[in-house]
Amino acid sequence: MRRWLAQLAPGVVVLALLLWGIEEAVNYGLVKRSLMPAPSDIGLVLWDLFADGEVAGPLSETLARLGIGFAIGAALAIVMGLAMGYWPRLYALFEPLVELLRPIPKAALVPPLVLFLGVDNAMKITSVALAVFFPVLINTVQGARGVDPVLINTARTLGVGSFSLLRKVILPASAPFICAGIRLSIALGLILAVISEMIAGTGGIGFLIIDMQRAFRIRQMYAWIVILAVVGYLLNVLLVVAEQRILFWYRTAQRT
Amino acid sequence: MTDHRTHMRTAVTPMLERVRTVLGRRSGLLLIAALLLLWEASARSGLVTSENWPPVSVIFLTLIRGLLSDGLVQVIGPTLYRFALGYVLGITAGAIVGFAFALVPFLRRMFEPIIELLRPIPAPALIPPLVLFLGVDDLMKVTIIAVTAFFPVTINTMQGASGVEPTYLAVARTFRTSPTHVVMRIIVPGTLPYVLAGMRISLALALVVTVVSEMIAGASGVGYYLVLMQYAVRSADMYAAIFVIAALGCVLNVVFVAVERRLIFWYAQQP
Repeated sequence: MRRWLAQLAPGVVVLALLLWGIEEAVNYGLVKRSLMPAPSDIGLVLWDLFADGEVAGPLSETLARLGIGFAIGAALAIVMGLAMGYWPRLYALFEPLVELLRPIPKAALVPPLVLFLGVDNAMKITSVALAVFFPVLINTVQGARGVDPVLINTARTLGVGSFSLLRKVILPASAPFICAGIRLSIALGLILAVISEMIAGTGGIGFLIIDMQRAFRIRQMYAWIVILAVVGYLLNVLLVVAEQRILFWYRTAQRT
Repeated sequence: MTDHRTHMRTAVTPMLERVRTVLGRRSGLLLIAALLLLWEASARSGLVTSENWPPVSVIFLTLIRGLLSDGLVQVIGPTLYRFALGYVLGITAGAIVGFAFALVPFLRRMFEPIIELLRPIPAPALIPPLVLFLGVDDLMKVTIIAVTAFFPVTINTMQGASGVEPTYLAVARTFRTSPTHVVMRIIVPGTLPYVLAGMRISLALALVVTVVSEMIAGASGVGYYLVLMQYAVRSADMYAAIFVIAALGCVLNVVFVAVERRLIFWYAQQP
């Protein structure tokens, strides 16, 4: 317990000092209140947002877009990645195309997507799915191509068909790579969800941040940024926990 | 994540592998050509008649005309400048802070919570407040790009430097190696692959944020041009801008891989 305290205390002290410093700097007029409100003010706004449930709407909107886009992008990427990893012909067919499209910053695709899909959910979900797709695909391919050939040959000798081979051997063996890709892509997905909300349409946390800035409701702007930070943090924690579970199963499966 | 495919061990002999990649590339390149043809045909034949879907040949012509007439070059210039400056500042700061955290654990305990709180904020969300402080011009954009590039390098450097093989350090101590020597000969080489992995993640993120910052604020750069052309319904110009951004991403990635391979040639050779 004491050790744990010694580990944590310096960080907490520095954080508290920083917040207190900003608070005092604002109160003494060193920092313009119109640029950086006192942390306590932001805290009050946050309290209000949560107390009257105002937070629920935009939060669920952004999370829904992220969740659906992420699910679509990751699922497609895993299926395609396994196929590309398993069949060299497919790999050869799609690899140049993937290498061509992968380095495009997906944010640059938001304007054409707006032209085709409008400013609503279809465009935003597609943006997120595109951002998520490539990191997961690359990692899945890498994992699937790196599977120990002995595992594959053994399974084949035992008469396992291609489909069950992919599902029962290659997918689990690629799991660590897929998880790494997913962890990387969730950050990109959140970025794209926020950007697409900032650039087009109304609603969602991204829209609110930029809208509050334009309306000079600075405290609200910071409050939503704090909420977004918490969302990002929790998503990461969630993924790490999920990954530990999945990879734990993977490790025990390997051991037996 | 980092790209290890190039170092993958394969069961086939190098010669066979080379033949296979050439053949394989051919089918892949054919697919790209077929898709481009389909794009062209669908736009020309009136299958898809839309302002938003210009034939790909028109886009290439627009692109070439833009590059020859200096128009696009003037658009790309500011983008490249901001990107380069922000990226270099961000990764330098990240590497220094990461090393400091690994070498002085107390510093890490003091400042890691702040970093862990700031890191998950999607960088574009920080643009609106930064606009208030720094305006919509270069200063704001370079700052947000640097901030974006900072975190992955910091985290990776810290992990790499803390994970240096203890045996090496013990051996160095046995021989009474000077601290500078230990840092230069053991810690830096041991950490470099991690720093570079972080730098590669930063590269992609920083490019996204460069374009985004130009889309959201200010009046110059490829991102701004892209949005402007979208509003003006000049879709060929818009796609030309996207091609430019794509090429930028591609070239940066290729250059980075080449530099990385030179810097840590010994790392890539390990199985």
